[in-house]
Amino acid sequence: MANKKVAFSELAKGEERLALLLLVPTFIILLVIAIYPLGSVFVSSFTDRQFGTHQPTHYVGLENYRELLFFTVKQLPPVIDPATSQPEIDPKTGGVKYENPFNVLPKTPKRYHDISQFDLFGKRYVIGAIDQYFLPSILDTIMFTVISVILELLLGLGVALVVNTAFRGRGLMRAVMLVPWAIPTAVSSRMWEWMFQSSRVGLFNVIGQILGLTDGNFPFLSNTAFQLPAMIIIDVWKTTPFMALLLLAGLQLIPKELYEAADVDGANKVRQFFAITIPLLRPTIAIALIFRTLDALRIFDLFQIVLAQSRFSMASYAYYQLVDYANMGTSSAASIVIFVLIVIFALSYIRAVGIQEE
Amino acid sequence: MNSKNKNMISRFFFWLVVIGIFVYMIFPFYWMINSSLKSEAQLQMTPATFVPRNPKTGIFAPSLINYKAVLENKPFLRGIQNSVVVAVSTTVLALLVGAFAAFALGKLRYRGKTASLYIILSMTMFPQIAVLSGLYFVIRNLAIPAIPSMILSYMLFTLPFTVWVLASFFRALPMEIMQSAQVDGATPFQTFIYILLPLTAPALVTTGLLAFISAWNEYLFALTFTTVQPSARTVPVEIALFSGTIAHQTPFGEIMAGAVIVTIPLIALVLIFQQRIVEGLLLAQSKDRIHRVLNEL
Repeated sequence: MANKKVAFSELAKGEERLALLLLVPTFIILLVIAIYPLGSVFVSSFTDRQFGTHQPTHYVGLENYRELLFFTVKQLPPVIDPATSQPEIDPKTGGVKYENPFNVLPKTPKRYHDISQFDLFGKRYVIGAIDQYFLPSILDTIMFTVISVILELLLGLGVALVVNTAFRGRGLMRAVMLVPWAIPTAVSSRMWEWMFQSSRVGLFNVIGQILGLTDGNFPFLSNTAFQLPAMIIIDVWKTTPFMALLLLAGLQLIPKELYEAADVDGANKVRQFFAITIPLLRPTIAIALIFRTLDALRIFDLFQIVLAQSRFSMASYAYYQLVDYANMGTSSAASIVIFVLIVIFALSYIRAVGIQEE
Repeated sequence: MNSKNKNMISRFFFWLVVIGIFVYMIFPFYWMINSSLKSEAQLQMTPATFVPRNPKTGIFAPSLINYKAVLENKPFLRGIQNSVVVAVSTTVLALLVGAFAAFALGKLRYRGKTASLYIILSMTMFPQIAVLSGLYFVIRNLAIPAIPSMILSYMLFTLPFTVWVLASFFRALPMEIMQSAQVDGATPFQTFIYILLPLTAPALVTTGLLAFISAWNEYLFALTFTTVQPSARTVPVEIALFSGTIAHQTPFGEIMAGAVIVTIPLIALVLIFQQRIVEGLLLAQSKDRIHRVLNEL
């Protein structure tokens, strides 16, 4: 009896040793490429480390974060005409002329740049930030994420519902849906860049002109109002089919009997959709949303290839700071901000949709 | 209106929607192929034509000049070679290391299992950008060549995912297989190598495909790590940085031809293995799985 017990615990010990042995390579690799670099990024985010210089690196505390994230809102006073002591009128806009933001925003210890202006209760305000590009890149990335994920969900749901019905060619349709997902973002970015060309060699200018919407020379990708919508259009095209596939799998898990019972009870299709489909699809939707949101928040390829430095996503900002400007400190701080944002999003999503509880 | 007419109309609209979705997903590829078959003069025609046409006569006239240029473009060909090396090595390494860990997570009993599962699960969502400057610093300072750097760093997004999916496959295999092998005197490791691993071959194909595609398509690390070593660029980087023989103007015809060439193998893979790929994607992302795995501990 006692012998058996010893033998059993020997076996269990052996199993435990084997398990640890098998796990070691994975954890060493993850340590080397994830945990250690994340730690070193965290440390260097508090330094002014630069590449390619011989200057010693200093600890600068929270300076990098301050430069990236600090902003101020100041009121812009109207320019008073000394002759009439009335506000001057800007001949170009026909509105009141305001003070140059440069004179209003703080200049010491660091200069603040004008990143945006807005009107509130008849007064003009200016938002100033030390780093001209990072705060806008956060806003742009979040806007991009929210709008594209919502559109992808709605379109994906539509496509999933269509492909979920039985029709000839359904198999082909499902195969085709994988194609935009499978091709490299580098390829799809250049493909759309070509279609968005600013003259009639580009598809969208041809269509725009036929429909009378543009004069055939609309600069889609350099027009600041259209840059973000263009990014959203491209991303929605590439990821909607993927979303649809996930949702389709969820739809197929819903028992057919539920719909049959609803038919017997006389509930119409719209009611069935809201009373059966949506509630039962909720877990699938939640998972799809989490993965898509986390993906969209770290978008890099699309912004870097199509917009380069004319407009940044958070990740492309961190990339350019690192590779083009050799500012390892700034880049690291930006990376940590992205990391923290993604963790916050992930945790709040998981709380909201309740992955933990049954 | 009788019900037969109503049915016809709804069928008509249904097919309209189906065709609409199909065109939406496929048209950009059509445009890519169309543009790749146009010479520079044809590309500059306004308005752009829906098939390659002779600029003067308007007759259908496809040209293979871009394909010729791309296939004679040394950096592009080297890019394909680099991509094959990187993607294949990444896949093999991820499957090898991943299968070991997955076996431990899926079939063995040991302390700290919950913690290791949570770590793997959270690593599947790890953003690459968070470690970019740290890895770049090490690679530059130690002058590590770009290709091994890419292979090792790609474990960041292939390994946790491979472990996660394979572990759920191992778990699904009946415990009796292991027990009967042990009764026959096989050690757990022998059971793993000779019995369980062959049984999970389909799962290895699925995860291998997904790892291959994600490694083939990766751009951020490839772009960053090859800045100091352009000869190691992979295909996505070549396509993104493509500057052809004609200076000053982006050679979109050649870019499109290159894009078609690198896209076709991927499309072929996807069409051949579509069932498996979908299966793998669902396994990796399904809430059900996450539940079951965490509850079964």
